[in-house]
Formats: sequence, structure tokens, C-alpha cells
Amino acid sequence: MKKDIIDILCCPVCKKELILKIEKEEKNEIIKGFFTCKKCNKVYHISEGIIDFLPKK
Amino acid sequence: MKNVKKIVKDSYSKIAKNNTCSCSCNSSNYDSVKIAKSIGYSDEEIQMASEANLGLGCGNPIALANIKEGDVVLDLGSGAGFDSFLAVKKVGDSGKVIGVDMTKEMIYKARNLADKYGFKNVEFRLGDIEKLPVENECIDVIISNCVINLAPDKLKVFKEAYRVLKKTGKMYVSDIVLLEELTSAQRSDEKLIAGCVGGALLKSDYLKIIEKAGFKYKILYEDREISKTQYNGINLESLKVEIYK
Repeated sequence: MKKDIIDILCCPVCKKELILKIEKEEKNEIIKGFFTCKKCNKVYHISEGIIDFLPKK
Repeated sequence: MKNVKKIVKDSYSKIAKNNTCSCSCNSSNYDSVKIAKSIGYSDEEIQMASEANLGLGCGNPIALANIKEGDVVLDLGSGAGFDSFLAVKKVGDSGKVIGVDMTKEMIYKARNLADKYGFKNVEFRLGDIEKLPVENECIDVIISNCVINLAPDKLKVFKEAYRVLKKTGKMYVSDIVLLEELTSAQRSDEKLIAGCVGGALLKSDYLKIIEKAGFKYKILYEDREISKTQYNGINLESLKVEIYK
């Protein structure tokens, strides 16, 4: 995912701010990492450059 | 009956892998180019992102939407990215397009095509259009092509759209609506659900939901021919609507 769109992201559940942890980065793209919600602590993983915001079972 | 989201996800994963639509919306001899032309895409638009056109839409929201350079566009149910790519051309380098889709295979396909075509300012994320991972009031234009009918809770989708759309923003939706209630057998038919019919609402109910979410709307066009050309005569239409706050 591209770094410059982080500013308009939010937690899909509680709509609060997300904290990004980058594990692998290439140019302006985040290849691996995860977001954690500041409020509800839900974690959303980025793998192969795609962020997964789908609710987990 | 299986969970609606699972039915939709399984069906569209297969479509993404096989590049063809196995559901009722493409059961006739129409191929994806013919479908795209019949619902309002120009030859130029079809050629520009041909591999992203899977023939799954029911209109051309890009043609209806007044997308300007620098706009932030959100594509609800972006699939293989066809409409997102057309939007990218309009927003230019200073704008951006975000596609949300709940099918992993579609997101990967869209992302790979974006790389292949060299579209830089488009981003696809795996998500549920009933729970958008987007901040409040930051989107200029929302587009959605034949997708909201697939969502079990359409009011939630429009409420979320309302939340993320700027006060001056506009939403352009092309979607299947019913002109006559379906039978209960049709409602639970998995092929009809995945084919944009089983989960569709009556037109009057659909428009009420838009208002209930807080929006106003203007009907731009209603295509009833589509019932014959793509939906075996089921009494429905493709509704094109402009939605605003």
C-alpha cells in the first residue's frame, strides 16, 4: 500500500486513528506491516502490499 | 441458506480467477466488451483498461460523475479495478482513487493491473463496504457499479458513504433495482444473489434507504432494456442515481 494515503485511513470498526508499524518497505510502498487501532486495539495486517480490513471471525 | 457475503465472495473469487462471469448477469452470449458497450462505456474507455473489464457492471458511473483533477474518489466494490482506472485518468497526479472490495482475488487482480498499466495514484484495499476504513468527510466523489445490491445491509452502506463523503461531495451509483417483488425461491437462489438480483431491493425501497441515510438524490437514468439483455426478463432495471448531502 502507498504511504501517502495513510492520512485518510481509520479503523473500520470504531473509526479511530490507526498506528502503523512497517516491517518491509520498497520505495513509497509498504509491503508488509500492520495497523493497530488506537482505541479498540484491533490489528489489520498488510501483506504483499495489500491491507486487509475485513473483519476477523 | 449460506451467508450472503460468503456466497458473493466465493462467486466473485471464481470470476476473478477465471476472468468470466458464471452468474446470471452474464449468462447470455454477451461478452464483457459487448456488455460494457451496452451499459454506456466508450470504445476508448474499454480499451484503456480492457483486462479490468469483467463485464460485471450495470452502467458507467464514471460517465455520470463529474470527477475533477485533484479529487479523492472512492470506488465501492472496485472488483478488478475497471472504474477505478477510468477515475484515475480524471483525477490526475494530484488526486487519488481508493477501491474497496471484499474479494481478495479481485484486490490482487486490480493491484497487478494497476502496476501493469502504470497507474500510480490508485490504491485497493480489502474491506467491507458496510464498514469503510476511511476517515470522515474526506472523499469528493464516491462511485459504485452494480455492487450495493450484493450487500446484506444497504442502509449501513449508504450511512457509511454519508460519513466519508465531504459536504460538497457527490455519489454516483449504478445498481440493479426490482420493479416487482421476487418470489422467496428467487430470493434464496445463490446464483441470483451473486448475479445482482437475489439481494436487490424494490426501486422505491432502495430510494427510501438513500434518504434514510441522510442523502438527497436525483435519478439520472433508468435502463429497463437490461432486464431482457442480461437478466432473462426478470422485472428489474439498472438505476443510475446522483446522491448528495
